[in-house]
Amino acid sequence: MGMSYRRYLAGARVYGCLSCRTHLTTIHSMISRAFNGQHGRAYLFEDVVNVIEGEPNDRQMTTGNHTVRDIYCCKCGTTLGWKYDKAYEQSQKYKEGKYILERNLLVDVQ
Amino acid sequence: MRLPEREYDSNPTSPHFHHRANSSSLSPSPKANGHRSRGPVAKVELPGATIYDDSYIDREEYIRLVIQSLRDIGYIESAATLEAESGYVMETSRVADFRRCILEGAWREAEEALEHLGVAEDDGLWEAKFLISQQKYLEYLETGKTTKALHVLRNELAPLHMDPEQLQPLSSLVMCSDAADLRQKAGWDGAHGSSRRRLLVNLQSYIPSSLMIPPRRFVTLLDQARLRQISQCVYHNAPLTSRHFSLYADHACDTDLFPRITTAILQVHGDEVWSLEWSHNGKFLASASKDKSVIIWSVGLNRNPDISLHQHLQDHPFAVGCLAWSLDDTILLSSSEQYIKMWNTETGICIRTIEAHTETVSALAWVPDGSGFISGSQDRKINLWGSDGKLRDSWGITAIRITDLAVTPDFTRLVAVGESAKDPVLPTPRGDSVTAPNTNRNGNNGNNPTPNGARTQEHLMIVYDLTTKQPELSVSLGGQLTSVKISSDSQYALVNHAPDEIHLWDLFTGRLARKYTGQRQGRHIIRSCFGGVDGNFVVSGSEDGNVYIWHRDRAILLDVLTGHGSGSVNSVAWNPRNAQMFASCSDDFTIRLWEPSSGLAHRTADVQSHESEPGGKGKGKSREPWVEDDPASRSL
Ligand SMILES: [Zn+2]
Repeated sequence: MGMSYRRYLAGARVYGCLSCRTHLTTIHSMISRAFNGQHGRAYLFEDVVNVIEGEPNDRQMTTGNHTVRDIYCCKCGTTLGWKYDKAYEQSQKYKEGKYILERNLLVDVQ
Repeated sequence: MRLPEREYDSNPTSPHFHHRANSSSLSPSPKANGHRSRGPVAKVELPGATIYDDSYIDREEYIRLVIQSLRDIGYIESAATLEAESGYVMETSRVADFRRCILEGAWREAEEALEHLGVAEDDGLWEAKFLISQQKYLEYLETGKTTKALHVLRNELAPLHMDPEQLQPLSSLVMCSDAADLRQKAGWDGAHGSSRRRLLVNLQSYIPSSLMIPPRRFVTLLDQARLRQISQCVYHNAPLTSRHFSLYADHACDTDLFPRITTAILQVHGDEVWSLEWSHNGKFLASASKDKSVIIWSVGLNRNPDISLHQHLQDHPFAVGCLAWSLDDTILLSSSEQYIKMWNTETGICIRTIEAHTETVSALAWVPDGSGFISGSQDRKINLWGSDGKLRDSWGITAIRITDLAVTPDFTRLVAVGESAKDPVLPTPRGDSVTAPNTNRNGNNGNNPTPNGARTQEHLMIVYDLTTKQPELSVSLGGQLTSVKISSDSQYALVNHAPDEIHLWDLFTGRLARKYTGQRQGRHIIRSCFGGVDGNFVVSGSEDGNVYIWHRDRAILLDVLTGHGSGSVNSVAWNPRNAQMFASCSDDFTIRLWEPSSGLAHRTADVQSHESEPGGKGKGKSREPWVEDDPASRSL
């Protein structure tokens, strides 16, 4: 994979990893607050940085079948949420390529 | 060098061989009498004015240089013979007299002679006279003749002086307690030192060189030829000794002396190897890995030494990014995220862990006097630490998130590279009207672990004055800057620049001097360095898994070395004490040593079994074969 420095974000509100404060995304990138994860409320984001994506696997969710990857903080390894690779229901296609972050694992870093 | 005798005979018309032929015919048994009596040497009349018909070398000039060389060597009689045979003299009796007067301290005669040596009127003559009077003044002071010295000061130096600033330090020398004090304060080594010869050299700049040939003129010209030949020798990697330079043939280094063969593969790290630094004594190589450890390898300077694992420094909380050896090699610094660790290199004990930065430490550099070190970080701070690890100074918040920095060896400048502190705004959901100026996304496929959002940062190289800590130069560059090294003469900064370029910046002029291309660099921290004799080469890692080497001054790509496995070659380091060895490290978990193919047996390496790290961590990497199976080495 090679060596790289983490990226830093700017904006009105920057969300970071709760355990290590690594920048992850900003409020401007948020699409929806109406999701639920394993730890309660979760947000859908257009883009997320400084995460490592796991292997794809199919998951049956309340809104149908999806191919998703877990995402991990690149510094501390915490599992932060997942990314949608593919949505099988036509109505859910808008989520493809987007990221879910668990609210309880986020912290405001700016 | 012995040459067959016929080599001399084959060129009988060459003027400088005439004497040889004549002398053997003049005295059949030259050893019979030490002081040979022989008839006067006849002047040889030659047509034209050049040494060959088609040459532009003036015969008189050439012969006068030969005579000068012969005299310098001590072939006084040959020089006299050549003067007689050619009809040219090295210098006129007037110049010879002048030379003798200066060396003997006959100042009045010297001044008189000066009037007839073609010195430019007015300024030139005044300055030359000033130099002579200054010497005279110092010599009077040296022998305690203060009255005479003051007389020279008032009546010769004062009327001649053009610059009052120049006279004051001279007059203050009267106060010196004794001769030794005088020599020390004047920076002058006395009448019996080299001062008269140095005065002569200084005076020579006022006298036309055709009258008084500059010292060692022939050798000066040959040196120029040598430097020119070396500049043409792109693989030049041998020290400048007479062993490697012959007048008989143009110099060209054997490419066999160039390090292009893998002679060892060091495979103990359990993950990607990101950084390498040689100890200053060239005997140890430190490697930093994503596996949260640093290894100090004992390599040694001798040919075919054993390579062994000297220390395995495991106690890092995160992957290790930077390394820096103290000047005496007793302390190794390593950085792991925001932490800096100081290690005793002999015992492997962690002396101190420093947590003062809030983000990743991206650069560590000892200051040239060894009194401490400087750290740079993604938190935009530059800190100066004592060698005890105590904070001595902080530069506060700089304009960039630092990705690397380096201190010039002359201790005058610090060069930092990084991204401007204007962090980017992420793309917004489609249709959202809150658009920052940079919502364009790069192609982002599912394989990309950290998606490329909007990349609009400015990438800067900032050159700071070390004493004032103020930027004296700030250059905005187009791509990510990942590495900076300074040349040993403190003039050049070597900067890796994404995509796919390495820049050589001239710090004296603030201009881009060279660009090196060929290597691949997109998203990762790829580092380069200078190396070889006189730092003649630039070597860099590359994201295509190869090692790239260029000639520094000519920017010619000399070699692309293959061998590392998949992933990037992250960093390279040239051995500071062995111009024919460097090391590279890679995502393939290994370090390779590169050496010349000639006269080198395989290194014995016992480094695989020392630590049996659980390999691969499920990454599915194919481990590289051991050195015996390395195709690059098999041809040895
Ligand atoms: Zn984290």
